[in-house]
Amino acid sequence: MKKKILGILLCLTMIGAMTGCGSKPGAPADTGQGEVQGEEAQTPETESQGGQEEADGKTFDGETITLLVAAVGIPEGFNAVCEAAEEKLGIKVDVEIVPGGDDGTNIIKARLASGDMADILDYSCGSLMRALNPEEYFADITDDFGDRLVDSFVEAASVDGKLYGIPSHSSEAGAILYNKELYEKYDLEVPTTWEQFLANCDVLKEAGEIAVLGTGGDSWTSQLAYLGDHYNVLAAEPDFARKFEAGEIKYADFEAGLASFQKIADLPQYMNSDHMATTYDDGCDMMMEDQGAHWFVLTRALGNMYGLYGDEVNKIGCFGVPGTDPENSGLTVWNPSALFMNKNTEHEEAVKAFMEFYISDEALDIYAEIEPPVGPYCVKGYKLPDECFEAVKEMQERFFDTGRTAMALEFQTAVKGANCASICQELESGQTTAAEAAAKYDEDCKKQAVQLGLNW
Amino acid sequence: MNKKKIYSTWFLVPALTIFIVFFLTPMALSLFFSLTVWDFNGFTFCGIENFIMFFEEKSLRIGIRNSIVYAVLTCVFKLGISFFIALFLTSKIKTKTIQRSIVFFPNLVSTVAVGITFTALMHPSKGLFNKCLTAIGLPGVDWLVNPDLALFSVIGVEVWKGLSIATVIFIAGIQSIDKTYYEAAVVDGANFWQRVRNITIPLSRSAMNSIILLSFIGGLRGFDLIWSMTGGGPGFATDVMASIIYKQYLSGFYGLSTAGNVIMLVVIMLIAFPLQKFLLSREVD
Repeated sequence: MKKKILGILLCLTMIGAMTGCGSKPGAPADTGQGEVQGEEAQTPETESQGGQEEADGKTFDGETITLLVAAVGIPEGFNAVCEAAEEKLGIKVDVEIVPGGDDGTNIIKARLASGDMADILDYSCGSLMRALNPEEYFADITDDFGDRLVDSFVEAASVDGKLYGIPSHSSEAGAILYNKELYEKYDLEVPTTWEQFLANCDVLKEAGEIAVLGTGGDSWTSQLAYLGDHYNVLAAEPDFARKFEAGEIKYADFEAGLASFQKIADLPQYMNSDHMATTYDDGCDMMMEDQGAHWFVLTRALGNMYGLYGDEVNKIGCFGVPGTDPENSGLTVWNPSALFMNKNTEHEEAVKAFMEFYISDEALDIYAEIEPPVGPYCVKGYKLPDECFEAVKEMQERFFDTGRTAMALEFQTAVKGANCASICQELESGQTTAAEAAAKYDEDCKKQAVQLGLNW
Repeated sequence: MNKKKIYSTWFLVPALTIFIVFFLTPMALSLFFSLTVWDFNGFTFCGIENFIMFFEEKSLRIGIRNSIVYAVLTCVFKLGISFFIALFLTSKIKTKTIQRSIVFFPNLVSTVAVGITFTALMHPSKGLFNKCLTAIGLPGVDWLVNPDLALFSVIGVEVWKGLSIATVIFIAGIQSIDKTYYEAAVVDGANFWQRVRNITIPLSRSAMNSIILLSFIGGLRGFDLIWSMTGGGPGFATDVMASIIYKQYLSGFYGLSTAGNVIMLVVIMLIAFPLQKFLLSREVD
């Protein structure tokens, strides 16, 4: 009897151990994905010079450099560029992936502090980069690449006038994606003020459509109505970022700032009934299946939808979060993540040559062919390819060509509240009012300011 | 009892070393670091600023309340339900072994897997629960979406998952009761409920106490299920102490999150020690 019980117990423990191991999601995958095999040329390393012109015949004899990225996977376009780099320069890129989001950030902080960083780090610029103490860990590449990149990116990837990173892909916008077919069906115009936008929503709602697609299940998407409204905040107070960082201005008692939060509160009445459980992935499908006329999201969603539905994505258009002035409706833009060079790398020349190649027209063409851009590039003189998403063209014509764009707040100041997503999700679910959420966000930013050593 | 000591005190050294290195030292260190603002590169002393912030801010304070609600409710439900399951499983029934295994099954699945599964089941429009409700004509429930309900939905899942351990402890307790008590009671004409009330409950009290303590402390520390089901949301509605501490850590507020850990330790000690004392004093020998 005893033996039998023991046997059963052992079996159960084993099953337990197996299920326990099998079901933990998101384990860091230490794969060599993106590692490119091959052999090429023999000339020893020499300095490569010049902006566009690639160093002909100067190769690195299969020298391997490592790259760390916090993400779910590596974009195909990136792999293609690595392959090209190997062929052309003889540099092998060994990519290591760690989980994205906050978990990845902590792994990266720990690896930086312990001196265990790859030769290149792919990470966000702006406030997230500044929290890493870039001047301590990354090489200053101002003289190498500063001239080749657009100013807004240089500003976001620099600390105290020193540039540390190059853009890893195209920039994107925090904007409203809209279904052009539904707009045609109900004879609607692209709105230039928030009132017009709400009026459009009313029309759609009355016709029984889901006027606004809500994806509050992934809390980061709840923030977009607030974050994407930054252009309008800046329109009201051009010096907002500096004053905010200095603690002189708060969202709770600044009219345009409060309006940003009010926009989140205005939306739920138009949303799908299960908007608090709908995720970003669901959203990509729903948008393409006409279950949602507007979606507040980052334009990277276009890339995801393109991956799922192909050219059908061109029925989606894009406009910025509207403000109060019909003459001045603009777009809030996000910088791409950046490639940073480790200060203590043993392969300095190879890394620099790779980075130079990475932002050359040739590499950008390779990348864009596989992964169409979701916004303009941050490289000077490199134009969007003719074949790109309709929404991106619309964005380019309506906002970039007229100069009505602004960078998101996180690229203008290091202060960003860590609980922003939760605060916006809370507001979207109706637990707080816009004024309460704004006050909460100010309080949340105070924590970040204390951590940064600012005097708030 | 003045026997000569057989074992030298030196035998304590291995255990004590581990205890000091892995428990006492980190504890002392975290006490110190909870008074600072620190990152991987250094620290600045800031007094009890972190603690003040923890109690002042509503989104932080709410965790203490939620933790206590979570601990009390899971503890009460686990205790009540598992007692009856244990009573049933120790009575004269067929297929006892297999039923006991079935009751134990939820405990074999990883908490994160349970969380993800139930999140899918509780989806407001696509989840099985609401599909069933609408099929019989009832309105769907916003299990995890309604901020007033979300915490209770998670509590329900925690109870489902934690019942097994409580039941096993109860079964052991009930089985260890001497059969002669029941025989005597039957001779005296006591019915089933009288036997349960006057014999089973008092004599399985030590088992009950273990369950209360284990599930209560477990509830106060609860994190994995909440994190995998709601991530503390919607907003901050289901944030408990542990999830808040984890969030502060993720945001890079290491000082604040260390302070949260100290608060959590103190809260658990303040509740658990008196509770244990009280429970032990009521145990029947």
